[in-house]
Amino acid sequence: MADVLVAEDIRKSYGDATALSGVSLSVGEGEVFALIGPNGAGKTTLVRALTGTTEPDSGSASVFGTAPDEADRQRLGLLPQSFDPPERLTARELVEYYAGLYDEARDPEEVLSEVGLDGDDSTWYENLSGGQQRRTCVGTTLVNDPDVLFLDEPTTGIDPGGRRALWSLIEELAERGTTVFLTTHYMEEAERLADRVGLLADGELAAVGTPSDLVAEYGGRTRVVVETDSDEATPAEATDALAGTGFEVETGDGRVTIGGVEPEDIGEVVRALNDAGVAYEALTWKQPDLEDAFLRLTGRSVVGGAGGGAGAVGGESDVEGEETDGASAGDTAVAGGER
Amino acid sequence: MSATGRVRAEASAAWRSFARRRTAVFFTFFFPVILILIFAVLVQTNPGGGGLFAQPPGYYLPGYLAVVVLFTPLSRVGSEVARHREGNRFEKLATTPLSRSEWLLAHTLVNVAIIGLAGLLILGLMALVTGTATLALGVGNLALVAVFVAFAVALFCGLGAVLGGLADSQDGVIAASNTIALPLLFLSDTFISSDMLPAWFRPAMNLSPLTYFARGVRGLTYQPPGNEVETLATAFGQTWEFQLGVLVALTLVFFAAGAYAIPRTD
Repeated sequence: MADVLVAEDIRKSYGDATALSGVSLSVGEGEVFALIGPNGAGKTTLVRALTGTTEPDSGSASVFGTAPDEADRQRLGLLPQSFDPPERLTARELVEYYAGLYDEARDPEEVLSEVGLDGDDSTWYENLSGGQQRRTCVGTTLVNDPDVLFLDEPTTGIDPGGRRALWSLIEELAERGTTVFLTTHYMEEAERLADRVGLLADGELAAVGTPSDLVAEYGGRTRVVVETDSDEATPAEATDALAGTGFEVETGDGRVTIGGVEPEDIGEVVRALNDAGVAYEALTWKQPDLEDAFLRLTGRSVVGGAGGGAGAVGGESDVEGEETDGASAGDTAVAGGER
Repeated sequence: MSATGRVRAEASAAWRSFARRRTAVFFTFFFPVILILIFAVLVQTNPGGGGLFAQPPGYYLPGYLAVVVLFTPLSRVGSEVARHREGNRFEKLATTPLSRSEWLLAHTLVNVAIIGLAGLLILGLMALVTGTATLALGVGNLALVAVFVAFAVALFCGLGAVLGGLADSQDGVIAASNTIALPLLFLSDTFISSDMLPAWFRPAMNLSPLTYFARGVRGLTYQPPGNEVETLATAFGQTWEFQLGVLVALTLVFFAAGAYAIPRTD
């Protein structure tokens, strides 16, 4: 698989703030590569370096083997972060407008159909829903049938249904052989779409690999998380109750995290808690995921602030202020455990 | 798709965006109306009386045209550049075949159309309110005035793009364009003739691009009492051809500077 995108030791600072500290990566033809990191990690700066819309302080980038600003623009598609197209054009007019900028463009009708916006001819962009707006923006990146598509946080701010629709679209593009470079802070997005993932924090690439390899190497073990009540004594009681089970137990933030618990061990944990009379509000079994891998590698959560740090058995992230798409596939919640 | 096609696509989107902003459309064309109403109807001219507006009405046509030729493209293109940057539109356009000069040309064409219409409105209102006794409005003259307007609009679109590239917000663009436009308007032989200014300042008027527009248009259209058109065409030491030549040269410089100033990177 030939490398289509290459970044070599890219460094970029804005004044005293370092955006990228020597990032190197490559993306092969037809690959879907997801760059994961919290806001301010340097994701957008790397996209800009790869598309030639920012000049790195040092290092180099290439697209199709040439400098990004010399690459064949007929073959590139870009959805910038926080993209705001002319707001008083309809979705159709916007797609036609961007199609008009290319030597060879797809039929706007076909593009609108692909992004699910072929039914509305009269609504201005500013009056579309957030999901429809984002799908329109994605449509404008598809008009030239790009070989490489850069999507900078394509699903931020849209509802779960709209997000799933976009995921399906990206999967279809990948099946057709389009190389996709995606940035996101949604773990489930990267796990579902990406062939490989790069974990970016504070301008440094902490790890690159397939989602399953990263989770296996850095995600830690399966675990049970017990949400206790507000009584400060309860976590200590739970720790005592589980002392004889042989599992690793950690406490913090009103939670008790029991590491190394396989599905068949859940009953033993519940029995131990119940026998000791420990009150709890919820009990969740969790498989390790990319969030855990990110947390272990960087000591911080992708969406929230600092996490438990490397080596924490639990490593549960503090996800707040972001709309999530429900519990991830590996979570099994046991509610109402309180006696 | 050729460069022509790209410019057409960009201009079409820009025109639709403008035409669908009813407030912008209303005030763009209300501006020249209120200008004529205030100066030609309320203030009126006082030929030979000294002070401001001491010339016959036809003398001030270049001034009225200069207002829309100067303010409209300066603020519209400057704001458009700032709006594009804030919406990351240039970041996306940088990955399309559209070049910066094509973008500026498209927006210049839209402004030429808008200001052409506003100019026609000014001409019509002047003819209605002050009559045409002191104006030479032959077809050939009007065609040449249209050429002056087109180049002057392109020049100030270029300057607007420079301001948009330098300012960090739409508010900054508006403040900067007002600060630049106001002195240019009054110190470019438009409403205030050069003999009303100190002798030492008069050479500085030649630094304003608007001076060449005003003198050229006046040379073509002003017909003072006594029918001295021939004399007037060379009254400022140069013919309208000279004024047009300087204006075209300056337009090329400002347009190139504007295209260069349009941001492609952060």
